[in-house]
Formats: sequence, C-alpha cells, structure tokens
Amino acid sequence: MKKFGSFNIAALVIGFSFLYIPIILLILFSFNESRLVTVWGGFSTKWYGELMQNQGIKDAAWVTIKVAFISSTVATILGTIAGLVMTRFGSFRGRTLFSGMIYAPMVMPEVIIGLSTLLMFVALAVDRGVFTVTLAHITFSMCYVAVVIQSRMSSYDDSITEAALDLGCTPFRTFMLITLPIILPAVIAGWLLSFTLSLDDLVIASFTSGPGSTTLPMKIYSMVRLGVTPEINAVSTILVGLVTLGVITASIIGRKQKQQTI
Amino acid sequence: MSETLSASPWLNASEKPYIQIENVTKKFGDFTAIDSLNLDIYKNEFFSLLGPSGCGKTTLLRMLAGFEKITDGRILLDGEDISEIPPHLRPINMMFQSYALFPHMTVEKNIAFGLKQDNLPPNKISQRVEEMLELVELTDFAKRKPNQLSGGQSQRVALARSLAKQPKLLLLDEPLGALDKRLREQTQFELMDIQEKLEVTFVIVTHDQEEAMTVSSRIGVMDSGNLIQVATPTEIYEAPVNKDVADFIGDVNLLRGIYKGQNEVGTQLHSDDANSIVFATQEVGASTGDEMWFAIRPEKLEISKKKPTNQHNILKGRIEDIAYGGSFSTYHVRLDNGRILKAIRANRVRTEEHHLTWEDEVYLHWEPHSVVVLLS
Repeated sequence: MKKFGSFNIAALVIGFSFLYIPIILLILFSFNESRLVTVWGGFSTKWYGELMQNQGIKDAAWVTIKVAFISSTVATILGTIAGLVMTRFGSFRGRTLFSGMIYAPMVMPEVIIGLSTLLMFVALAVDRGVFTVTLAHITFSMCYVAVVIQSRMSSYDDSITEAALDLGCTPFRTFMLITLPIILPAVIAGWLLSFTLSLDDLVIASFTSGPGSTTLPMKIYSMVRLGVTPEINAVSTILVGLVTLGVITASIIGRKQKQQTI
Repeated sequence: MSETLSASPWLNASEKPYIQIENVTKKFGDFTAIDSLNLDIYKNEFFSLLGPSGCGKTTLLRMLAGFEKITDGRILLDGEDISEIPPHLRPINMMFQSYALFPHMTVEKNIAFGLKQDNLPPNKISQRVEEMLELVELTDFAKRKPNQLSGGQSQRVALARSLAKQPKLLLLDEPLGALDKRLREQTQFELMDIQEKLEVTFVIVTHDQEEAMTVSSRIGVMDSGNLIQVATPTEIYEAPVNKDVADFIGDVNLLRGIYKGQNEVGTQLHSDDANSIVFATQEVGASTGDEMWFAIRPEKLEISKKKPTNQHNILKGRIEDIAYGGSFSTYHVRLDNGRILKAIRANRVRTEEHHLTWEDEVYLHWEPHSVVVLLS
C-alpha cells in the first residue's frame, strides 16, 4: 500500500464518487419498496415485476434490441472494411481527408447528426420508423468499429497475409482463413461497442424515429417528464447492467487479443 | 558443395538459366528501386543477393514472389514469363524475415496450410507434414502454437512451411537475421544440407556478407538498384570489380595510387597513401598518370619486426592497436604518413617470443599477386 499516498486515495475516492454515486443511487432506489422515489421504504423487487406488466416498456425494449442488433452488425461489417482499407492502402492521395471523414461522426454533436439524418429522410420522403433509426445508428457507430479495427491492424504483420498468398491461398480465402480469425477479437469488441452505443442513444433516435419505433431511452425520457417512478429506476438499472456487461466483455476480449499478439 | 552443382553452370553457355530476370525496373513513384537489372540464376543454385539496406535486394526478391509489380521488363521461370502471375499462383515459396507464422494455428497446421490449398487428400497432407517436421527436427512440437516456440524453432517451422509444397524456387528474406550468432552458424549449415538434399533452387537475401560467403554458390552484390558484381564467393572476395565491392565484402586496406607503367615485376603504382611505389602482378589497361586504387586484404599483409629480404612492397610503421581474436590477431599499423593499415596474423605460436605489442616498430610486406588493382 506504500504506492498510494493519502492524497492519491482522496483523489481516487472523490473522482469515483463523482462518477458513480448517481448511478449507485439509481440502482439502490430501483429496489425501493416505497412509491416515493427519494424516500427509502425497504428492500423490494416489486418494481421489476411491475415492469414485466408494462406493455409500453416491453415494446420499447424490443425495438431497442432489434435496432441495436441490426445496426451493430451492419456497422461492424462496414467499419471493419473501412478500418482494413485505411491500413492496407498505406498512403494515397487524400488519405488524411478520408480518415478524418471516417472519424468525424465521433466528434460531431449528436444533435447535428440527428438533425441532418432527419433532413435527409424528409427530403427523400422515407417514412420514419425502425428502419430509419437503424440506418442512423449504423452511420454513427460504424466509425467506432473502424477505429477499433484500425488500431488492431497497426500491430498486424502484413507478411502473414503475404505468406498465405504465397502458399497458394486466394486473396478471399486468405481473408477468411487468416486475417479475419486473427483480428476476430477486435471485430467482436467493435460489435459490442456499437451495440451498447445504439442501446444508449436517445438524441439521434428521437430525431429519426416515427410512430411505433420508440426506443427504450426515448420511452424512459418521456416517462420521466410525467414524474420519476421506481419503475423507471428499475428499467434504467437493467439498461446500465446491459451496457456494463457489453463494455466489460469488449475490454476483456481486447486484452486477450493483446496477449495473443505478443 | 561444388560437386553437386553441375560444375558451375553459369560458365557453360549451353546451360539454360532457370530464372531469367530481364531488364527489370521497379519504381516507387519517382524513386527507382531497381534499375533495368539483368540476372540469370541456374537450377539448384544457392544464390545470395547481398547489399546494404535500401539497395533493392528485398524488392527484387518480392518481385520474384509476386508481391511487387514490375514496372518494366520481365521475369522468366523455367522459360515461362511469370511477370503477370499473381503470388498465389506462382510455383515459388518464400520464407519471410519475420517468419510470418499463422499465430492462430499449431505448427502442424502452419505446415499443412499450403498443402490444403492444393486440395490434396488428408492422408497425403499428414504424411508430408510428418516428413517436413522430421526434416527440421520439430516432430515433438507439432501441436504447439507459434507463441510457444523459440526464435530458432519458429525459423525452422517457417522453413518447413515454405518447403512443404516442394516449390521450384525458394526465396529466403534474411532467414537467419533474428537468430544469435551461434545458432545462425549452425542453421547456415542446416540450410545448405537441406538445399542439397531437396535439390531446390534457393535465392536468399542477406546483408550479412559472412553468411552469403558461407552458403552461396554465387553472390550478387547490389547497390542502389543495380547489380555490381555477380560471382562465386571466392571471386567476389579475391577479385572484386570495384572498391565498393572490395570494401563491402570483408575487411580491406584500400589505397589510392597513380599508374606509373608496367615492368618485369608487374604494374607499378605510385601511392601517396602508402608513401611508396607499389607493385602488382595484375595487368591493367591504363595510361601513365591515371588514378586507381589497390586493395590488399589484411590477412595477405605479412607483419614482422625484422625487415623482410624482399625488394618490393615493404612499408614501415608502428603498431597502434591490437584486436586479439583468439585464433588470430588484427594489428592496426600506422605508417609514417599517418595512414593506418590493418594486418591479420594467425596466432600459431603460444609463447610470448613472437609477440608483437603496442608501439612496436614493424614492417609490412605483401606479394605483388596479393594486390587487387581497381579502376573505380
């Protein structure tokens, strides 16, 4: 314990409290017996039971999972291709511009992305619904996948690919048999990351969704406007749990892959 | 190994070259990596491409493998133009500098990979893998993953994998670069044995001149995209074509001289560097006053405290540095004009009597036939 001085411990405690006390409170109150959100009435799981009765929340959850699953899968495929292209083709004219354009959605305000996709859907006269939300989620989570893949490829020895070609393997089979298995952990990590991003998103979804495609974050947000109920705390806790699971799995896979390459 | 080669095929005009590199040029943008290069390599040769880094030797190797497109010219393998054939269809295999083993496959699967691409029956594949594992003495390691192997073992897996398909031509890119000296020397002999046993044509890229000398039937010395000299190791060492080759291969004393003419001893050069007239047996077509260089290998300089009885090629100096190498010692001798010459003497006597030490006044002498006169 010599490494930690009292200042460091204090900084650590304050820092983490700042980050996690709100979430811990939310989780705690989701197990509250009382209907009053801020008054502790004893431990109970009844709000989780009640949640199961709420058709509106169940519908929203189903929409969210459907959107997250499809958008993360498509984003992973596109993002992987983009990440590979960025590393494979070395330096070509306009490379910086191109890579900058891939990463732009990461720093772009969500409101702008939401608004611009909405404008596009309106202009193209596309009916808003699950399809448009999915499409919007693909565009912004793709860049995260591209970043993950590109960082994996920076430590990838190109001569492994060349060796496979040299041994008579066609370029496509080389990708399927050699490159993809080697970078698979990064691909999975990218998928999990975009899955959780889609699960979380409120802003872009509210711009691009239509009737019947309310996502869970949107549902929670609209419920909160009518007052915070323990039910909301319960559904939020489930959401926090899912996201945490996703992020932890992604980082474990990432670490395993690092060990494998060394 | 010369007896297994059909007596120097490159000297036989009727012998057909196995690989013909014809006027090959490779440009990367404005940079010319290979400049209209011509080279013939014969069957069962162990050919080394030697040169400093950036000389284009790896680029040439990668063009043979098909990883780099040729800008101009063509490459023939056994009479067939392979310039446009993609790497996975060439009957050529390569052993990579980084070994490039597939990290997610066992040793066995790595070796079998190339055979599987040919859709061979599984029993044929396992038989061949077995043979290769025996060849490189790794039978006990068949189930290991590459990250559980030492550098030497990885190197042998890479070799086995590249030989498994019985290629017509094996390319080796700095195959021993990552091994320590002892292992490297041992592996050099193993490579030579395997090459003789399997009768495969080897083309190896190396920057290690000792390695090239040891393993090769012939060496091609490259510099800035050109082949400067293609010859047997002995020729390269004893008769380099210019002072760059002389300097790159082995240790050499390189001195400047002015052509004075021929006499009964041989070519006469006056050298400010040596502060005297130098005689060489080699005849050169030059006229009086031409600038040239002469090269003397350190082991061809005799060093002694007593003045030699010969008339020519004697220089006096003082020992400035001694590098004791066990079997031999290298003496750095400073001449009166400040030039330092290197002389090597085998340490054949254990006693101290023959001992030369720092600040000793010594004479250097060499035979006229030991001198190589170089015009450029």
